Amino acid sequence: MSLGFARKRTSNGGLASAKSRFVASVTIPLLLYESLGVFILGWAFALMFFDYSPGRLGGPILGLGGSNPFVGLGNFIEMVKGTSVEANLFRISLKNTLIFAVVILPLNLAITLPLAWLLESIGSRFRALYRTIYFLPVLTSSVGVALIWMTMYDPQAGWINAIIRFFGGTPVSWLSDPRAGFANVSVAMWAVILAYLWQDYGYNMVIFIAALQGIPLELKEAAMIDGASPWQVFLRITIPLIRPTMLFVCVMTMLSSFQVFDIIQVMTNGDPGYQTQVLMLDIYKNAFRYQNMGWAAAESFVLFLIVMGVTLIQMRLLRTNWEY
Amino acid sequence: MKRKLFALIAILAFVLAACGGGTEISDEPASGETTGGGQGPTVIRIWVHTNNAFIAGYDALIAAYEAEHPEVDIQLENFDYELYLQTLQTAMPAGEEADILQLFGTWTSQYYERLAPVPAEVMTVAQAQELFYAAPIGGYIVDGVLYGMPQEFNCEYGGVLVNKTLYEAAGLTYPPQWETMDDVIADALVLAQSDNTGMMTTAGFHFTSADPTVASFLAGIRQRGGDYWNADQTGFTFNTPEARAQLEWMAGAVDAGVVDPIVFNDSTNFVIDAFFQGKVGIGYIGTWAIAEGQANFPDFADEWDYFYLPAIEGDPVFVADSGWGLTVSPNSEHQDIAWDFILFATASVDNAAQWNIASGTIPAMPAVAESAEIAEAMPWIPKALDILPYGQYLGNMPDRDLVVYEIIYPHILNVLQGVETIDQALETIDAEANSTFR
Repeated sequence: MSLGFARKRTSNGGLASAKSRFVASVTIPLLLYESLGVFILGWAFALMFFDYSPGRLGGPILGLGGSNPFVGLGNFIEMVKGTSVEANLFRISLKNTLIFAVVILPLNLAITLPLAWLLESIGSRFRALYRTIYFLPVLTSSVGVALIWMTMYDPQAGWINAIIRFFGGTPVSWLSDPRAGFANVSVAMWAVILAYLWQDYGYNMVIFIAALQGIPLELKEAAMIDGASPWQVFLRITIPLIRPTMLFVCVMTMLSSFQVFDIIQVMTNGDPGYQTQVLMLDIYKNAFRYQNMGWAAAESFVLFLIVMGVTLIQMRLLRTNWEY
Repeated sequence: MKRKLFALIAILAFVLAACGGGTEISDEPASGETTGGGQGPTVIRIWVHTNNAFIAGYDALIAAYEAEHPEVDIQLENFDYELYLQTLQTAMPAGEEADILQLFGTWTSQYYERLAPVPAEVMTVAQAQELFYAAPIGGYIVDGVLYGMPQEFNCEYGGVLVNKTLYEAAGLTYPPQWETMDDVIADALVLAQSDNTGMMTTAGFHFTSADPTVASFLAGIRQRGGDYWNADQTGFTFNTPEARAQLEWMAGAVDAGVVDPIVFNDSTNFVIDAFFQGKVGIGYIGTWAIAEGQANFPDFADEWDYFYLPAIEGDPVFVADSGWGLTVSPNSEHQDIAWDFILFATASVDNAAQWNIASGTIPAMPAVAESAEIAEAMPWIPKALDILPYGQYLGNMPDRDLVVYEIIYPHILNVLQGVETIDQALETIDAEANSTFR
């Protein structure tokens, strides 16, 4: 063996060893971190088959069994057919969550897309200013937004009722009147939806602006030369070309709507009469207030299935097979 | 390679085991360490929920105890209410809780498997029942075993804040001379005010927050000779003539116009906030609200006082859900010191009185409640002395908060707001409350 070859081998061996150490130093912490996540997911998955409360001693293995008995699919059967307070509240919460998500998505799109289009068509100096103004609520904490809107909705001192009174109307208890509603949705739910929309719409608007900026100008110009009106350009050129962005926006908006929690907890905590109780709030109450963690885990799994199902449907409906 | 794989698996297993914690009561101490290699004082940790008035009381007790026992260092840790619940739920299964845990009496029946029973040499059940009022001590006894000692009598029944300024402005006699609840309703109707759109701006008698509504409902059942428990306390009986009569009385008061439950309830115009903003004439709430109202509304200029309502029928029998008290972790290495401190804090008349004065709470011991010191510091307590002996423990419900806040109150409020009938409400309360027994 020549000296040069020996050196080369030593050098390569050192490099390989350093690579191995680097890979190990990166992979092992990642694996440990992932194992923690997997454990938590596994724990939540196991809990949904038990009537588990951390206040009870339970069996010898992780507190499962004993006074925290195995119930199999009992939690899911109860959700569908049960008459317990948990089952009743689950069904109410599920219905409210679906209402919230179904109302939020079209309203959000109806506001954000035209607004983005308008902002895109004005001068660049004002565009930045308006974009900043509209995006500010996104940066505000949900609790802060909730408190602002609660003040505005106050039945006696809120300025919304003050305006109604000024015009001779009858004031409304926006967050606490279970009798009032519109289109079979309670007024409290509408009030919460409005606050949520106000906080959230700036995010989608910015995404749509980015998508609109990505559309080649030639396509629009060609359509105009062919005699298309601005509305036809928007409908026939713009909308199809931002379909991938719409898919992203729809999925993200739907996901966040299904997971809405903080703004509702602060504004109504599910009142009046559970008309604004959504699944995340119900899960939180069961898990951390009533120590009903087995039930809460089962509810979380149902929410996961719903969100996954809705996302897959959206991806199927809005997918595109082309690029520009 | 195999060795590396084995090492990796071993590390992962170790992490999983660490994450899993354990439900076994550990033989090793969770706390209660001595510092300085056994040379320093014995450290005892206490966990309480955050309430500045309560904490001031604990600080004084700890200082007094440490002065008598320089070998003990008591460390108080406080948590926001919701966070405290979550902390207990995660720390107790892991055996990481403090030596002494502040619990609400009704929680004991949910946590007793993870609590240390009071040793007989510290106090027996009979001694505790002799020392404390029946309602507060009842919460700390599960299946005949004593698990802690109460510091307060959480009496949500019968006490009302009365706005003297509004009374006098309305031309009513002050202090109120109530013989029956009809007298209260009559005053409340005069006090109630609405604006020109019909929206109520001043509630005459605000009894529609959660605790007062439920306390009034349950007391009304008992005062009418009924009960909401079955004979062996294994189920609820809410659909009874007595419950119906009480609910009809409450709905009648709302219909008469003493309060609009749409505008005045637990989430909108909560009774403490509304009273200390001058929007309530008579506000139904426990004495604990006084300290909170004074702290949160220091600029409130109206004159006011605290009174007790007459019974709806017969004796002022009522139920109470125990009160805050102290328990000991079975994982504590120094349970003897922990119990000694708890005795010092709860069973000594002087110390208990100081804590009640600091926290603004009703004493759990008759000897303290009747003391001149308490009468001087909290003049509304002597007014309660006539009714406190009538207090009965609520009973060990599977989940008191679930039954009270998610079942009884929402359905009664629905009735008062006119979106549910009395029949529907009683049937649903009965069915849902019984479903909490698993």
